[in-house]
Amino acid sequence: MGERILLIEDDHQLGAQITDFLGRAGFEATWWSEGRPLQPGEAAAYRLVILDLMLPGTYGMDILRQLREGSDVPVLILSARNDTADKVRALKLGADDYMTKPFWPEELVERVRARLRRPVMQRQNAVELGGLSVDLESHEVRVQGKPVELTRVEFELLAALARRPGAAVTRQWLVENVLDPEREGTERTLDVHVSRLRRKLGPGKHIETVWGIGYRLGDGEGS
Amino acid sequence: MKLRMRLALTTAAVALAIALGLAWLHWTFETSERESILAEYALTQMLQGGRERCEASPSTWSHEQSFGPRGPPPGGPNGPPPPPPSRNWFGRKEPGGPPPPPGGTVLFAYDTELVARNPAAPPLHQKLATAMRKGRETAGRSPGLDDRGMRELVVRMPWASGPCAFVLARQWGPGPRGRRSPTPPPDMLVFPSLIALAGVLLTVGPVVRRLRQLTREVRTSVSSAYQGHITLQGNDEVTELARAFDEAGREVRAQMDLKEQREQTLRSFLENTTHDVMIPLTVLQGHLAELQQRAARGEPVEASVVAAASQEAHYMAALIHNLGAAARLEAGEPAVQRAPVDLNALVERCMSRHRPIARQQDVALEYAVPEEPVRVLGDDILIEQAVSNVIYNAVRYNARGGHVAVVLERQPGSTFRLRVLDDGPGIPENELSRIVERRVRGNAARTRGPGGNGLGLNIAWKVTVLHGWRLELGRSEYGGLQVDFLGELLSEAEPGGTRRTPGIG
Repeated sequence: MGERILLIEDDHQLGAQITDFLGRAGFEATWWSEGRPLQPGEAAAYRLVILDLMLPGTYGMDILRQLREGSDVPVLILSARNDTADKVRALKLGADDYMTKPFWPEELVERVRARLRRPVMQRQNAVELGGLSVDLESHEVRVQGKPVELTRVEFELLAALARRPGAAVTRQWLVENVLDPEREGTERTLDVHVSRLRRKLGPGKHIETVWGIGYRLGDGEGS
Repeated sequence: MKLRMRLALTTAAVALAIALGLAWLHWTFETSERESILAEYALTQMLQGGRERCEASPSTWSHEQSFGPRGPPPGGPNGPPPPPPSRNWFGRKEPGGPPPPPGGTVLFAYDTELVARNPAAPPLHQKLATAMRKGRETAGRSPGLDDRGMRELVVRMPWASGPCAFVLARQWGPGPRGRRSPTPPPDMLVFPSLIALAGVLLTVGPVVRRLRQLTREVRTSVSSAYQGHITLQGNDEVTELARAFDEAGREVRAQMDLKEQREQTLRSFLENTTHDVMIPLTVLQGHLAELQQRAARGEPVEASVVAAASQEAHYMAALIHNLGAAARLEAGEPAVQRAPVDLNALVERCMSRHRPIARQQDVALEYAVPEEPVRVLGDDILIEQAVSNVIYNAVRYNARGGHVAVVLERQPGSTFRLRVLDDGPGIPENELSRIVERRVRGNAARTRGPGGNGLGLNIAWKVTVLHGWRLELGRSEYGGLQVDFLGELLSEAEPGGTRRTPGIG
């Protein structure tokens, strides 16, 4: 059973379409075609609320304000109005994201996923991704359970990527924050360290090259 | 009420107030003069034998004398002594001898205790007795206005002892000038008032005429949409009023011209917009028609046709967002909101918006943001539109298998750099400098080929200018285009606004 999402959208065609897409993306969507205040206890049943602003008889901002009085459930605003004042107001009232129509269903699903991923992004001392495990405290690195010996720079490089798994990190940032600026502070040197690190980690794309940016810690699967 | 009537009434009210003031002054001077004559008369009578007669028989002494309007010639053997020089209404000495006290005058004597030995003498009024005890030389009063103008005056005698130490002079009849009217002479009040009134009305006449002319001209000007002329002559308040009307008219005319110009711009904007939206809409309809025909024939749907249709829809959405942004930029500062903006979240939103289309075009779209959110002060929607345009162009005009990267970085000195680079065909070097400054609605801007992205880049450029940032275009190290947004970060001292959202991948 997927995570429960509440959709409040008055347009029947759009509401049905969104519910369908969310269902296909593995979420369990509940759709209200009318706006009404959401009780805090009711909100606790959902992992995320997708809220349309222009609803018949009520205004989405009012629902949001009432909801925020007793709940921290993430809220993604949908609006046909592309106005900064609306957006700023919604964010100030406690909305977590704001999407303007028109949008691709894929875009919505991507935003929902990004929002639900967030709590997992908490700092942790050990990162496990695919067959790779990095213990940031004890400086222990294992691939498929086997320990891997790394130099200080190699470990720092891996740790920098492991702190934000899945996020691309620029080469410039890695050069400035991982390499010793006195001795070896060039992007060329960085690439050499990366290539050594990749060799040590073995087959599988643990460290991905991101075009135009730098590197990213991947799940070790093929490209 | 008309101006002329109002001025006449005001003049009459002021003239009346002046007349009353003059009457009071007149009465004051007359009383003073009358008392002075009476005092001189009483003193002279007593000095010329009156004292001796009074002190010889104080229980019967009194002295009465009646005069005609001007009395007998002064200095006669039985007549009264010449009275002291009188003063006229304004206190100036009149030429010729002083007149005697007119009407009937009776003298009564009082001792040092202010008591009369003569039973026929009236008891001294309290007010007069008090004034004498205080050491005054004379004190007078009028018993009443209806008492035929009677006036009482007590005079202290130079000897200050005996039964005749004080003398009360009682006088009936008109004042020293023989008039009982409390008002000043009519020639001094009425004529100046009439002259003033006539003067005011004469002066007001031309002013009223000019005001009427001004009113006519203003009405004509209004009816001719402020095209009429307003006469400016002279250098007074009416001319200033006319000048103010003239200036107001010119200002209104300028505003109307501006409005007309804006309406013209709006009309051409709408025409261009319709054109811009109709083209992709037509293409989209074409794709949909093809899909429909294939479906009707039971043929499999071709992925490339769906992708093309999707791209048209995406293009239209981008176009409409840009038209909205252009309208807000045209409207100027009041339409632009400034609030703290989280650029990390903004980049992520742009990513999620363009990823579906990039995927369809087989263009790799990647991004990187710093761990700590990069915050700036600005208009969230406009900045997002600007960044979105640059990313969309990079995706749209790239070849299949191409790359687009978006990198947000903090730079030294509290600045940021948001870089969008691609490995597409790019833009020729000689066009780079002028591409962003191209007029939004130029014909070339509406061409949909590579480089025909004038509206999007122009909006990006305008948004950076509006925020005091820089937009730099150059060739990327991978051969395509590199666009850099460079600007200042939000200082920590400024109040926060939006909630912080950590960057994710």
